[in-house]
Amino acid sequence: MTSPAVAVEAKRFVNREPELIARVVAGDRQAARELYDAHAPRVFRLAFRLTGDNELAQELTQETFIRAFAQLGRFRGESALSTWLHRVTVSVVSNAMRKVKRFRAREADLEEASLITTDTRVTDPDLRDQLYRAIDELPEIYRVTFVMHDVEGYTHDEIANVLGIAEGTCKSRLSVARHQLRQKLGAFAKEWME
Amino acid sequence: MTNDDERIPDSIRTAAADYNAPPELNRADLDAMWAAIEVEAFDGMRPDIGRAPAPRSRGMLSAANLMPLAAVLVLGVAIGRFSLPRTADVAPQVMASVDSARNSTIEGPYQSTASRYLGQATALLAALPMEASAGSASEPYKGRAHDLLLTTRLLLDSPAAADPRFRTLLEDLELVLAQVVRLQSAESSAELELIRQALEQRDVLPRLRTAVANISADD
Repeated sequence: MTSPAVAVEAKRFVNREPELIARVVAGDRQAARELYDAHAPRVFRLAFRLTGDNELAQELTQETFIRAFAQLGRFRGESALSTWLHRVTVSVVSNAMRKVKRFRAREADLEEASLITTDTRVTDPDLRDQLYRAIDELPEIYRVTFVMHDVEGYTHDEIANVLGIAEGTCKSRLSVARHQLRQKLGAFAKEWME
Repeated sequence: MTNDDERIPDSIRTAAADYNAPPELNRADLDAMWAAIEVEAFDGMRPDIGRAPAPRSRGMLSAANLMPLAAVLVLGVAIGRFSLPRTADVAPQVMASVDSARNSTIEGPYQSTASRYLGQATALLAALPMEASAGSASEPYKGRAHDLLLTTRLLLDSPAAADPRFRTLLEDLELVLAQVVRLQSAESSAELELIRQALEQRDVLPRLRTAVANISADD
C-alpha cells in the first residue's frame, strides 16, 4: 500500500506536471528527465508485461518517451499524463509485437517441424505454461485488455482511456479474453484428466 | 455477455499474475535508457522539440563541418578501413572494447560528444532486432548508421581518440557500422540476423549501455 508521504509527494508531482510539460515543449531536458524518472518504471512495466522481453521492453520504453516528447506539444491535458503515456506505450508495443509475432511464428514453424513426434501432454503438462501460451495466443486487443486488467490491475476506466474505447467495450473485450482462455485451458485440463 | 460471466478461478488469477513478471529497473538501466532518449529527442535526431522542424543530422551539416568530414572520409578510404572481418569476428571485438570503455577517461569538450555518440550507437544497435525481424534494414536505419559512421571517423581523427581504450571502441564500432551501411537489400536479412545474433549472444548491448551510463556519469 502506498504510504501517505508517498501519496502526498505523488500529488505534488502531478500538480507540477503542467509546468514540466511546458518546459519540455520549450526544449528543457531537465524537465524531460523529471517526467521520465516519474513515469519510466510504470511504462517499462507495462511494456514488459506485453512483450515478456527485457531488452525489447527497454527499447520500447525508449521509443515511447521519444515519441511522447516529440508529441508533447499536442498533449491537451484532457487525461492524466500517465494515461496518455500508457496510450503511447500500448501503441508502440502493439506495432512492435506485430513484427515480433511474425518473426516468432516463423521460428515456431521450424521448431514444430523438428518436434513432430513429441507428446506435449507428457512433456509440457504445466498449467502455468499453458496459461501463458494461451494468453500469448489471444488476439492482441483481447490480450492487451486482459493483461492490463487481470495482470496489471488497471481499472476498466483507465484501460478505456488508454485504449481510447468505451468502458463497455473494455468490459466486453475482457469477457471475451477470459472466455477464450477458459476454453483453451478447459480443453487442456480435460485432456490431461483423461 | 458481461464481465461477471467469465470470472476466472483464483488459481488462474494467481498464475496470471506472474505472466511476463517484469524485473525491477535499477538506476543504471534508467540512465542508459535516458541517454538514448535524450540523444534521439533533443540532439537533432528528432527535430520536434523546442525548435522548428529541420532536416536530420546528415542534412544539417554546415560547410564548416563538411571540411573535416571530407578529410576524414578521404583518410578513411586511403588507409583501407573497409577491409572488414566477418560478423562473428566483429562482436567479440566490440564486446572487449565496450568493457574497456567503462573506464574511459575522455576529457574536455569531447566527453559530451562521446556520450551523445555512444547513446546514438546504443539506440541504433538496440533497434537491430526490429530491423532483422522486418527482414531488411530500412533506408532510414542505414541513414542513421551512415551518420554515426561519419561521426565515428570524426572522433577517430580528434583528440578524443588519444585515449587508447576509446580509440579501440571507436574502431570496432566503425566496423559494425560499416557493415550495416554496406548491407545490400538482397542479402540484408541474413546478414542482419547474423549481426544481431552475434551481438545478442555476447551481451553487447547491455554492456554498451553501461558504457554510455558510465561516460554520462562523468559529464
